[in-house]
Amino acid sequence: MSSLQTMSVNHHLTDETIQEYSAGALSVPMETLIACHLTVCAHCRARVERADQIGGFMISASDGVEVSASAADLLQRAKAAGSESSTRSTGPRGDSGNLISGVPRPLGRLLPKPINQLAWKRIAPGIKQFNLDVDTNRKGAFKLLHLTPGATLSDHSHEDRELTYVVRGSYHDEIGHFKTGDIADLDGHHSHKPVIDSKEPCIALIATHSPVRYSGILSRLMQPFVGI
Amino acid sequence: MTKTDKPPTAGGRSKAAIDPAAATLRKTMGDALVAIGRDRDEHAFALIYNYYAGRIKSFLMGKGMNEDTADELTQEIMLTVWRRAESYDPKKAAASTWLFTIARNRRIDYLRGNSRIEVELDDELLDIRTTESDTQARFVAQEQVADDIDAALAVLPAEQRQVMHLSYFRGMSHGAIANWLDLPIGTVKSRIRLAMQSVKSNLKGEDDVLERDDYLDSE
Repeated sequence: MSSLQTMSVNHHLTDETIQEYSAGALSVPMETLIACHLTVCAHCRARVERADQIGGFMISASDGVEVSASAADLLQRAKAAGSESSTRSTGPRGDSGNLISGVPRPLGRLLPKPINQLAWKRIAPGIKQFNLDVDTNRKGAFKLLHLTPGATLSDHSHEDRELTYVVRGSYHDEIGHFKTGDIADLDGHHSHKPVIDSKEPCIALIATHSPVRYSGILSRLMQPFVGI
Repeated sequence: MTKTDKPPTAGGRSKAAIDPAAATLRKTMGDALVAIGRDRDEHAFALIYNYYAGRIKSFLMGKGMNEDTADELTQEIMLTVWRRAESYDPKKAAASTWLFTIARNRRIDYLRGNSRIEVELDDELLDIRTTESDTQARFVAQEQVADDIDAALAVLPAEQRQVMHLSYFRGMSHGAIANWLDLPIGTVKSRIRLAMQSVKSNLKGEDDVLERDDYLDSE
């Protein structure tokens, strides 16, 4: 596994995405992708902290409503509950198991096996996918893509946000060069055609709010099968 | 819906001024949380409770939670504050930030049925460049940064304040805000961006790398 000490992240989250994440208005797939990037990017972590500070300001500056209990009532309850209550953990999602080398934990928790052993499904020449979406009612996509060096994705755009987190390898498109740890945070304005340019396969985690719009006829025909 | 919005401070200042009342409030609440964590100080808890319980309940109701549920969850959140105050670090965040993250996460938990996905601080891949090496500098700067953010937000134009309020308080997505206000989504996003940038630009060169980054948001 490549050393993360030397990972240099060049592509970051937009202000809008940081804000929406802080406000808690995003889906689990989007949150997962963002948490992966935040793991390897102290810079964006600091920006999220700042956004959280705005949330704190919003609460402080708001008008409160009446609450039924007083502080004294609550303390009495806390004392009555005693030590029994202190066993209630607020920690998230279990312990440190299920971790995969080189994969940020928010993603690692979703993978049953290391990346090379996943049950990849071939969807197009040079493109395999592993679906992560358990909620089949969701309109958007949430999946891991396995892209062979030299593979080119069809030119496509999105009605809303598309997030891509590069787990391994690299690609380039009209916007720039994206390497391990980078995040591509695109909205509906962008149409792009990524080309894999790493020697090893590129593993990319993607999440979208809405189905992708392909520009070519053939890709439009493919879309129901590819589903990205 | 804008009931809780306060109008931006009047006056022709080009630079937002520090609000001494906000700074005092922040200090008082930060000290109170520390006192709870260190001494189980009940008086300090009452101070936090009396200021924040009603505001947190209002925040919970912002996303359509009914009053009884919001009341119950508020008590649960305030109990969490009482029990977990030791983990509050005044050098890392203002008390209001800490309370916001607890309330927000509890609201998500309740409404969605699963937890918010966050960075895990023991992740072997964690980028610790700034968290470790610049920690001391950031600790020192924290108070100043908080002052600046408060000042910038206090003079935010009403239309930016409105979208920020709908986002943070109502937990509405940018798309939902656009529908609600009958505005194009691009307008909502640019108001959010402007608000975020006014907070940033008020932080005089605190983090120069911020200004250099490619945010991919060119049209």
